[in-house]
Amino acid sequence: MSNKLQEIISKQQEQQSPSMELIDDVVQLVGFEVGEEEYSVPILSIQEIIKPIEWTRVPQTPPYVLGVFNLRGSVIPIIDLRLKFGLNPRKHTEETRFIVMKDKDEVAGFVIDRLTSAIRLNKKDIGPAPETIRDEGSFIEGVGKQSDRILTILKVNKLLERDF
Amino acid sequence: MDEFQEILQDFLVESFELIEQLDQDLVELESTPEDLELLNRIFRVAHTVKGASSFLNFDVLTHLTHHMEDVLNKARHGELVITPDIMDVVLESIDLMKSLLHTIRDTSSDGGIDVSECVKRLDIAAGGEGNVEIVITQENQQEETALDDEVVADGANEEEPNYDDMSDDEVEAEIERLLAERKAADKAKREAKKATSGGDDNEQVPASPSPVVPKASDASKKAPKKEEAKVAPAVKKAPTTVEQTIRVDVKRLDHLMNLIGELVLGKNRLIKINDDVEERYEGEEFLEELNQVVSIVSLVTTDLQIAVMKTRMLPIGKVFNKFPRMIRDLSRELDKKIELVISGEDTELDKSIVEEIGDPLVHIIRNSCDHGIEPLETRLEAGKNEVGTITLKAYNEGNHIVIQIEDDGKGLNPEILKDIAVNKGVITDKEADKMGEKEAFGLIFRPGFSTAAEVTNVSGRGVGMDVVKTNIEKLNGIIDIDSELGKYTSIKLKIPLTLAIIQALLVGVQEEYYAIPLASVLETVRISKDEIYTVENRSVMRLREEVLSLVHIGDIFEVERVFDDSEYAYVVLLGLAESKIGLIVDSLVGQEEIVIKSLGEYLQGIEGVAGATIRGDGGVTLIVDVADLIQMSKSIKSTINSDEGGSVATSNEKNSASDYKVMIVDDSKTDRTIMKSALDSMGISLIEAADGQEALNILKSGDHNFDAMLIDIEMPRMDGYTLATEIKKYSRYKNLPLIAVTSRTGKSDRMRGVEAGMVEYITKPYSPDYLMSVVKRNIKFNF
Repeated sequence: MSNKLQEIISKQQEQQSPSMELIDDVVQLVGFEVGEEEYSVPILSIQEIIKPIEWTRVPQTPPYVLGVFNLRGSVIPIIDLRLKFGLNPRKHTEETRFIVMKDKDEVAGFVIDRLTSAIRLNKKDIGPAPETIRDEGSFIEGVGKQSDRILTILKVNKLLERDF
Repeated sequence: MDEFQEILQDFLVESFELIEQLDQDLVELESTPEDLELLNRIFRVAHTVKGASSFLNFDVLTHLTHHMEDVLNKARHGELVITPDIMDVVLESIDLMKSLLHTIRDTSSDGGIDVSECVKRLDIAAGGEGNVEIVITQENQQEETALDDEVVADGANEEEPNYDDMSDDEVEAEIERLLAERKAADKAKREAKKATSGGDDNEQVPASPSPVVPKASDASKKAPKKEEAKVAPAVKKAPTTVEQTIRVDVKRLDHLMNLIGELVLGKNRLIKINDDVEERYEGEEFLEELNQVVSIVSLVTTDLQIAVMKTRMLPIGKVFNKFPRMIRDLSRELDKKIELVISGEDTELDKSIVEEIGDPLVHIIRNSCDHGIEPLETRLEAGKNEVGTITLKAYNEGNHIVIQIEDDGKGLNPEILKDIAVNKGVITDKEADKMGEKEAFGLIFRPGFSTAAEVTNVSGRGVGMDVVKTNIEKLNGIIDIDSELGKYTSIKLKIPLTLAIIQALLVGVQEEYYAIPLASVLETVRISKDEIYTVENRSVMRLREEVLSLVHIGDIFEVERVFDDSEYAYVVLLGLAESKIGLIVDSLVGQEEIVIKSLGEYLQGIEGVAGATIRGDGGVTLIVDVADLIQMSKSIKSTINSDEGGSVATSNEKNSASDYKVMIVDDSKTDRTIMKSALDSMGISLIEAADGQEALNILKSGDHNFDAMLIDIEMPRMDGYTLATEIKKYSRYKNLPLIAVTSRTGKSDRMRGVEAGMVEYITKPYSPDYLMSVVKRNIKFNF
């Protein structure tokens, strides 16, 4: 009996271990477009993605801080990534989304032009940010290589950091 | 270890409570040294703390309290008369005891504080007739021989060495025994509690403030009956206090308060929806029911809110308690005779406010003692009672609590205050000339201002009153000073009862709304724009006797203001601490109960914004930080009157026909094409929209600046009337000509058009020339 049990357990472990490995080696990202570029952030740093809703302007802030909005009773800042990345402002379209990201206690919404897809990337396919832009102030965590494209992975904690 | 922490926690809570009462008792004792009851009470405190601390192995604390006990015991037996000098030593030792307890709280040990000096002096005091014994260590026996009739301390002291002599096992056993005893006591209490409430008793540990008391009585078991009898009532009293109060973690109350906040927001929303439904389904039966439910919910919510607020309330007496001691020390230091009269110490305030109010009061009272009350001789010369009186009074006034500090000293002289302020460079000569009496009194709150000729121990640095102002501002309070030269000075602090949920005045500027805490709003007035004067680039107005500086809310919050031709302006008069300012707004929306929410780390510390709240419609409204706003207004130049020329010029600057923009709103493509071809020859820019919703979106996007709109009435999604009404809601588009182009010809249709804000009404079919002339007229076309 106990042998059988042992067998089952070891079998289960066998089944689990490859998937464990998989989880360890794979990073899940959510890709989105801002302007012409495709960016991505780790899926675990995303609280939710919503369609644009009304917001209230907050004075004395840089233009990329659009203001604050009400997310089921919480007041959350909303930041336009187009403006933050130095692009021209664009009117919101059907595809515009607010991505609400969190890092520890920090929460903020970010306006993006279009969602692309959820992406699974092997860790070994992620390289560091190009040396030329790799400094303290950079928003870029790393660059993911996929068969047909290159994906910029953003630092969520950097995005959520107040820089004004 | 956990058990020990728990006992330690109880010990600290109890000790702090005891000490709070101690200060007051001691000062009282000085005036009535014969009061035996009082003496006994004080003695008991020293004794209880000593007993418990020796059990917990806090040697330094035990050592100190033991010697305190000696002095007090002698006084108790009439062997020693409490003179002010002895009192000074006793008070000093109590201060030491406090800092020891603080150290214990922070580090769980009582090292690091040297008590030997104080102990020496205590011994001298206890020695009285010169029988001085300097005992630095715990060699108590020696002393006891000197005090052979000192039975109580004797009893307790016999215990102490006992612990030292015990082997580890014995100590274990002793602890076991004490724990068992405590458990028994707890059990008895629990049963008593069960009898009355039957409620959850998991909380019994924080709920029972007295586990140390039985231990203390246990420690002095061998003491004579006298002592036992004294402790016994305390033990007996314990169950009754347990029934009446329960210790609750403040965090839980905060959480509860947050939940109530959410509920209030929900209630506001419900009321708003109810109003909307009422409008739409007028006269329907279910409305009445809905109304009832809504009013019950809002009533209960309000009651609940008040109830929870009350649980967080503490009597202000907690703060007042420390002042008798302070006055005593100060009057000895300054060599004045000062009496403190306290009233209204039962008045209750939110815990967070009670914590903030202490410092300002200390500064005000110190100020009153030092600058207010005159020296003895001066008082006698002026024919006043040689004892100066400071009255400390608290009472409720509406949603506020008022704390009044009044002294019968020399009063404030506005002229002298102004002179000093000018000399110290706090204000200029010009400003001084313009100042009224009240404003001059307000000078004492300016940083760097002090009337003292030299810096003393007590005051004169010009910092204290600035602290008062900052703290009171933080609480959204108002300071009011009144004084009569040679008679009195009175400072009134008016503070809102609670901070989390507040009443606010909602004001509008262009399309934005802001909430101003009602506590800071003194009044609102509507003035004609002619009443606004400009002095040195600042706008001011005259209100009754006062000249007020004005600032436009749009200037503070960088609101883009479009030409506004109304003759009137609404002024919200704001008062905070001792300053006043007039805030000009476009509209007054009304009063609403709001819940303050933080903007989060990312947007923290935005100047002028205290937080945000969620309105009934789900939108976010920012809350104005009145203190910031008053500060900001000083650096903002007036644009109240000067903006008109500028904005007119930009909106009229048309260099070519294509600078004119007209929107055509019609659901039929054919109709749009007809209109377009009719207007084509003018060469103006035309933008099309297929229905009201689309038109509104284009307008809101702000990409175009339209000079006129041609609107069809019957359209899907949003019809022309609704569109016009929506557009006119924005003051920015108040002057945008809306022209109805429709096949509806009825008179009532025309009327509705006018009501919705349309200026022209063109019926289909029309001639292209007619349409063109109407458009030309409305956009003032001149090419």
